[in-house]
Amino acid sequence: MSKLFKSPKALVILTLALGAFVLSVAGGALGKEFNGGFLGAPIAHIQLPAEPVFADELFPGFKLTNTIVATWLTIVLVAVLAFLATRRMTEVPTGLQNMFEALIEFFSNLAASIAGPENGRRFLPLTLTIFIFIVTSNWLGILPGFGTIGRIETAEEVIHHAEDAGTDLAGVNLQVFDGDGAVGILSLGSIRTEEITAKRFKEAEEEGVHLVEDGKQVGILVPFLRSANTDVNTTLAIAIVAMFMVHFWAFRSLGIAGHVGKFLNFRGGPVALFVGLLEIIGEFARLISFTFRLFGNIFAGEVLLIAMAFLLPLIGIIPFLGLELFVGMIQAFIFSILTLVFAALASTGHDTEHH
Amino acid sequence: MIEGNIGDLGAGLAIALGSLGPGLGIGWLASKAMESLGRNPEAARPIQQNMILAIAFTEAIAIYALVVAIIIKFVN
Repeated sequence: MSKLFKSPKALVILTLALGAFVLSVAGGALGKEFNGGFLGAPIAHIQLPAEPVFADELFPGFKLTNTIVATWLTIVLVAVLAFLATRRMTEVPTGLQNMFEALIEFFSNLAASIAGPENGRRFLPLTLTIFIFIVTSNWLGILPGFGTIGRIETAEEVIHHAEDAGTDLAGVNLQVFDGDGAVGILSLGSIRTEEITAKRFKEAEEEGVHLVEDGKQVGILVPFLRSANTDVNTTLAIAIVAMFMVHFWAFRSLGIAGHVGKFLNFRGGPVALFVGLLEIIGEFARLISFTFRLFGNIFAGEVLLIAMAFLLPLIGIIPFLGLELFVGMIQAFIFSILTLVFAALASTGHDTEHH
Repeated sequence: MIEGNIGDLGAGLAIALGSLGPGLGIGWLASKAMESLGRNPEAARPIQQNMILAIAFTEAIAIYALVVAIIIKFVN
């Protein structure tokens, strides 16, 4: 500590960081209680299911949701990166090719150490694909523009939907946007001194009072883009593909009788039969655990970022962005490594397991 | 007299109680990993990898509680 105060540079940096943090706290929602809140960060609308990008159905029974758009964006980005990395390959790799080669080498070593050299080569493509897809979509979801740019659902539509669903109108917070266009941006400074809930808006409309001045409108922002893994359908789809391939590989290496015999074991007496049935439940538990681990982590991260953008806007949120980068990579790594471990476990029979 | 939605209380309790066990579990896991790291520093890589995997399994339980809390809070 004493060393710190002797070095003027460290002291200046510390003071600046502290000042920035205090500024961020005072400008956020906490500061608003004490007549601060000059940064005016709005709290975004948090919704569990993915929101449709267009209000109308694209074709009967299908609405294009923002997580689907984000998934497509991820696919295009990964494809473009892969194309650029392999376009002009050199003996001594540089740049993008180097990055991909390092990634592949790391995973092929890992696969070989977990599943053995032969099986490891077989499992590598799927596990690496899962890793690259999940990490790209998670990191894309942190970019500015995700969750903040979208179409405006007007207050009348929101109230209509909430009444259809039977939601309490007092719990629905509305936001105020400049202009009367259909596209809105949730920016700093768009917070208002008083909160407008759907209930208050409806009562005011019935009395003929307009809560906002002309040239502004009240509604909810429905973002065009939202992190792909905040939709439980995306993570369930990846989990189903992973578990399907795990069992496919198990059938390939153990044969049909060998793999089914692990679950329906009639030769080892009643206890073995019961254990086998428990294994079937275990497989479904793995599927559900895969789905909700990824979904829960990324959705919670999104909610954390929204809350922190509200409490500590502009500066205080930076460490949490770093945390989300870390979580996004770790979750992608865990998903792929667990696929690898499950595949390695399932592809070794009972006879070879205990040697 | 306390007013408000009782579901909010449920959501808070779900994540509060649900994160107790995993919190203890992760702490215990990390402590054991550090212990074995101190005893055998050459095995740092496999210990670290297995620790992260085990933490992921433990953390998944907290995530289930979180999902329940989120569902209580945001799904009507």
